[in-house]
Amino acid sequence: MIKHLITGIAFVFFAIFSTHLYAQQKYEKESRLTEKDVPDKALDFIDSLGVERKIRWYLEEGFDRTSIEAKFKLNNQKYSIEFDTVGNLEDIEIQIAWSKWQKPLKDSISFHLKKDCKRFKINKIQIQYSGDQSILLTKIKTGEDSGEYIIKYEVIVKCCNTKNVALFEYLFSNTGQELAVSKIVFKNSSNLEY
Amino acid sequence: MGGLPSINLNYKLEKKWSLNFKIESRQLLQKGTFNGDSNKSFEYVLTDYSLIAAKKSGLNSRISGGYLFRFREGEATHRFIQQYTIIQQLPRLRLAHRVVTDQTFSSAEATEYRLRYRLATELPLNGQSADPKEFYLKIGNEYISSVQNSDYDIEIRFVPLLGYAMTENHKIEFGLDYRVNSFLNHFARHSFWTTLNWFIEL
Repeated sequence: MIKHLITGIAFVFFAIFSTHLYAQQKYEKESRLTEKDVPDKALDFIDSLGVERKIRWYLEEGFDRTSIEAKFKLNNQKYSIEFDTVGNLEDIEIQIAWSKWQKPLKDSISFHLKKDCKRFKINKIQIQYSGDQSILLTKIKTGEDSGEYIIKYEVIVKCCNTKNVALFEYLFSNTGQELAVSKIVFKNSSNLEY
Repeated sequence: MGGLPSINLNYKLEKKWSLNFKIESRQLLQKGTFNGDSNKSFEYVLTDYSLIAAKKSGLNSRISGGYLFRFREGEATHRFIQQYTIIQQLPRLRLAHRVVTDQTFSSAEATEYRLRYRLATELPLNGQSADPKEFYLKIGNEYISSVQNSDYDIEIRFVPLLGYAMTENHKIEFGLDYRVNSFLNHFARHSFWTTLNWFIEL
């Protein structure tokens, strides 16, 4: 019986060390932060919004940048606000249902998606604001435009073609022009499937 | 009560195919009845070797088929496995639905047919996903119905585990695998296994 176990383990070690490929897949790593680890500047901005619901803070570490993100609900909408590591505002993202978007924008986005996908399903759309912190604060609190800022749209799409189905993140300009596309890679799930 | 260590190797092939190879052994440390006699002694019970081929059938789903060889008390048992899994990626956790049918053949017993459903959830303990060098909880609940000759039984499993992602390709999990069966016959059989799983992505 021990012999069978040892044979099995030997096979496993042989399998591991005989492969020439150790795939290095890099994902963005995020970890929870407590408020005491968040720069005061970022905390002050969030406080000015008057958020009553729970705020979750995350540290996001990518290839070449690190940022701090606050996620919360305000006025029944999901917000995600990103800061750099010293607390300067980078962008504000608000999730909005596809049905609430204006037709010309929806048509422009759909036109671009139809070029890449035989069939598609929009999983999530966020409007992204970036620019001067005080202008964006006024925009979020009152809805009024007190200055110029940049608007982009981040769209998560399930894209189906004849031989493939995948999840993509598209970034569109405020006029619906495609700015960037990236494929979303899922973490391996063999520990959940077997 | 006993131990259930396992090693699980997953290897991605071309064109959405993958192979999964698993070795799991079972060792008994104690058996008896509640409020009655118990016998504490180490007993090696069995080793399972399984090989499953899987194909991605959708964005988050996989259809699989495979074979398991069991060696127990000098007897060989053969099992054929058919499996379908769906993974739900939710904002702060992952849910896995797994449906399995299997057929077990041995010279010592009649063929056993089983239908299984398992719901497993992976809850990261830091952040929105279980990144390398982070802990997570994995909780599984499985229902297994089986038919052997004309005997019908149901087994329920509850498996809470603490997991650690050493790297993107190595995860280790430790915890309890609780099983109850035969309760339809009014003599419920409870088993408690200490589980140690090592998942390796090649």
